[in-house]
Amino acid sequence: MTGASAVTPGVRAAFDDHLAHADETGATALALDLLRAGVTPEDILLRLIAPAQAAVGARWVSTEWSVAQEHAATHVSERVVSGVAAAAAELRPRDRAPARRVLFACTEGECHTLPARIAAEVLRLRGFDVTFLGANVLAPRLVSHMHRQGPDLVGLSCMIPVRLPAAHHLVECCRRAGTPVLAGGSGFGPGGVWARTLGADLYAPDPAVAADTLAGRWPQTPREAAPLEHLADDEYSRIVRQRPELLRRLLARLLERYPRLRDPRAEHAEAVLEDLGRLPDVVAAANYVDDPQVLTGYLSFGVEFLHARGVPTAALSDALATLSEPLRGLPRAAAHLDAGRRWLTAADLPAPPA
Amino acid sequence: MTGTRARNPASHGSGQAPGRPGRKLLDTLLDLVDQAVVVCDASGVVRWCNGRTAVYFPGLRPGTTPDPATAGPLGQAVVASAVRFDAEFLGRRLSGHRSTVQDCSVWLVSDETGVRRCAAELRAERFRAAFLSEAGRRLGASLHHGRTARSVVELAVPALADAALLVLPPRGGHADWHRCAAPGAAVESGVLPVSSLDRVPQLGRALTGLSPRPAPCRPDGLGALGGAAPPDPGKGGESLVTALPGSGAPAGALVLVRSARAGGRPAADAALVRDFAFRAGTALSTAALYAEQAHTAAVLQSGLDPAPLPEVPGVRLGAAYRPAPDALGFGGDFYQVEPARDGGGGVKFTLGDVCGKGVEAAVLSGHVRQSLRTLTLVESRPLRVLDVLNQSLLEADSGRFASLVMGTARPGAQGTLDVVLAGGGHLPPLVLRRGGTVEAVDVGGMLVAALPDAEFGQAGVSLAPDELILLYSDGVTEARGGPTGAEEYGAERLAHDLAGCAGMPAGAIAERIALRVAEWLAGRAHDDIAVLAIQSSSPSPGSSGAAGAPR
Repeated sequence: MTGASAVTPGVRAAFDDHLAHADETGATALALDLLRAGVTPEDILLRLIAPAQAAVGARWVSTEWSVAQEHAATHVSERVVSGVAAAAAELRPRDRAPARRVLFACTEGECHTLPARIAAEVLRLRGFDVTFLGANVLAPRLVSHMHRQGPDLVGLSCMIPVRLPAAHHLVECCRRAGTPVLAGGSGFGPGGVWARTLGADLYAPDPAVAADTLAGRWPQTPREAAPLEHLADDEYSRIVRQRPELLRRLLARLLERYPRLRDPRAEHAEAVLEDLGRLPDVVAAANYVDDPQVLTGYLSFGVEFLHARGVPTAALSDALATLSEPLRGLPRAAAHLDAGRRWLTAADLPAPPA
Repeated sequence: MTGTRARNPASHGSGQAPGRPGRKLLDTLLDLVDQAVVVCDASGVVRWCNGRTAVYFPGLRPGTTPDPATAGPLGQAVVASAVRFDAEFLGRRLSGHRSTVQDCSVWLVSDETGVRRCAAELRAERFRAAFLSEAGRRLGASLHHGRTARSVVELAVPALADAALLVLPPRGGHADWHRCAAPGAAVESGVLPVSSLDRVPQLGRALTGLSPRPAPCRPDGLGALGGAAPPDPGKGGESLVTALPGSGAPAGALVLVRSARAGGRPAADAALVRDFAFRAGTALSTAALYAEQAHTAAVLQSGLDPAPLPEVPGVRLGAAYRPAPDALGFGGDFYQVEPARDGGGGVKFTLGDVCGKGVEAAVLSGHVRQSLRTLTLVESRPLRVLDVLNQSLLEADSGRFASLVMGTARPGAQGTLDVVLAGGGHLPPLVLRRGGTVEAVDVGGMLVAALPDAEFGQAGVSLAPDELILLYSDGVTEARGGPTGAEEYGAERLAHDLAGCAGMPAGAIAERIALRVAEWLAGRAHDDIAVLAIQSSSPSPGSSGAAGAPR
């Protein structure tokens, strides 16, 4: 039985239903039944859990689910991954040749561990000797694991571009230690464009592709990379230093223009402020990789996010305008904000519900 | 053209004008030039040459024709009608070029031996410097012993040899080896029985520190190493066994195999091999020491890390643990949950916080946990347990105190959970009720290990199905961050975020609270964070899960 046919729409719907009810027992039983019926563990991870989890994220963006439901569902998915991995480990032959060692880490500040966890399990299923370090891995922890285990490769997950500067720090640590880096996750941009900017040795859009690529060719021992040239203008560090001020101005402006957000009991008010509060970090990350797409990518999410929460998407234009003033002296940041404004003008914005 | 004219080129044309140097003087002056000057006429016969010519080409005289026999490369150049040559002759590196003055060929030949030697030495020195710098960089990049060993053989080929084998000091009857069999080849590794080392005496001596100097070894002598043997260098090749000095005993033995055809390596190689051996040995012994210490730390840490949560009917558990980031995983916060073994079902649990952070706090927290585990075996009254713990910690005199909440959670009728709490000096646990209201449970009590006659508090709470009690350390409420970066997360925000978790299973709630705190911190440093969530669940094994989950 192969993956596509084994995970039928009916199976997927049943699994989604378990996630919706935060039913760990039911979800795990369903996955283990599939395993017993001959579906490969890799197909369960990549064709059942991963797409179901993507749908969970979409349901949160559209407000169909509360953030609590999203979290509960994610927790259940994580438990199912553990269950499937443990069951698959039972089936694995024990006396195999020593395998290549891979260390998996989520970037500092990164709390979305599930995609990295699935990637780690897929590589384990493909015969690699995998250690999963989990969420929010800081450089000292990664370096200490590299010294202890001497991995042949570090898998680095970054799910949102805001974490790219932190990801770069980890990539640099790996290169310095002569360990190649496999980058993965939507945070590295369309086609992994920013993985290359940051000096990752490999980028894979999904774990199966990563395993296939590695089976074909192992990346060479990297050398220490040159620093990113565009950072010489100091714009990035100036944005980071100004972060509290930018955030203060931004929130003041939003609360002035959209008084409804001031009421902490108003539905979605807190979530909206929190998410728009990421804008200074998004601008900083765009500056770090010198690509306005980081900002326009965030805006395209923001439009959908605000629209679903009944907040006029003009709030995004307001927010960009508020940041323009204090960042006026920074030519690259100003150009990125301009690109953001042009994107908002060009986008056919959905009208907010009355 | 006459011989005289040719012997005296300066007289040509202008004659002996007053004030001009005479012919004899010109001959003497040209003898001072540090090049050989050879003037040949149109028929190729040497007409004139200066004194230096006799030094470079002893067989060449005026009146003879330069040929390869008498004038070596100059003769070959004349025969071939070349305009320049550059070759060895009689132990000198000679470089000459021909100019034409009227119908005469004038060869200027200089001795480049010294210049070439300097250039070659400079190249060799640059190569050595670049090699040792690369070796320093690569050997310093990782403290992992296996990686360092692989780097040693990778670096040695081709800079020092055509193939290299590193044998590490034997342990338990076997020795690990790493080999690079040819330039560009991948490193292979394996294990060798000590008995085969005995058959290569040079290796044995290098590994025991009895042979501080590189020892040559007959290539066929390495055949005894079996699968580890480096490739035979062929006729005229050599194998050199070098000890890599470590701290105390040698850190390994390096076999360098060189074939005859690549024999042009500079003579200063011996010094380079010694320098490299020193660096490689230092890197290997540092890595070995680090591995031992890291192993020790990992073993100790695994004893201090929270144990996995048990699976107990009627109770759903969740926990999150984030030690302060600067302490490499050691923290003073702790929690432990064990099934209650007194027949009443449910669990007994503790969450506490030893003041301070890092490994010192972790050691005391291990002490506290072990004491509690032992005490609860002999004493079921929690206040009495706390009294004895207090006394024992005060007597240990660590100068540190702790806050903690401990208790039991026992399933009651209809899926309820009866929670009994006792503790000292700890933040009040929060109860999440079904409708999403949050209540703080005041346990009270004084810090443990602070005062001899400390008093401790007690409280009880009953949880309906899917209701939950959250225990947490002050790393949660005191996390500084938010928009200003200086504001505490605080009890109010915690209660608010917990209320938003209504309907979620305990594991997800513990993770979510830790996540909210991480978002609040936005990457800033923090104290240890520990969260423990205990939820009542109907013990029926069906697939109902969290029945209260909103749709």
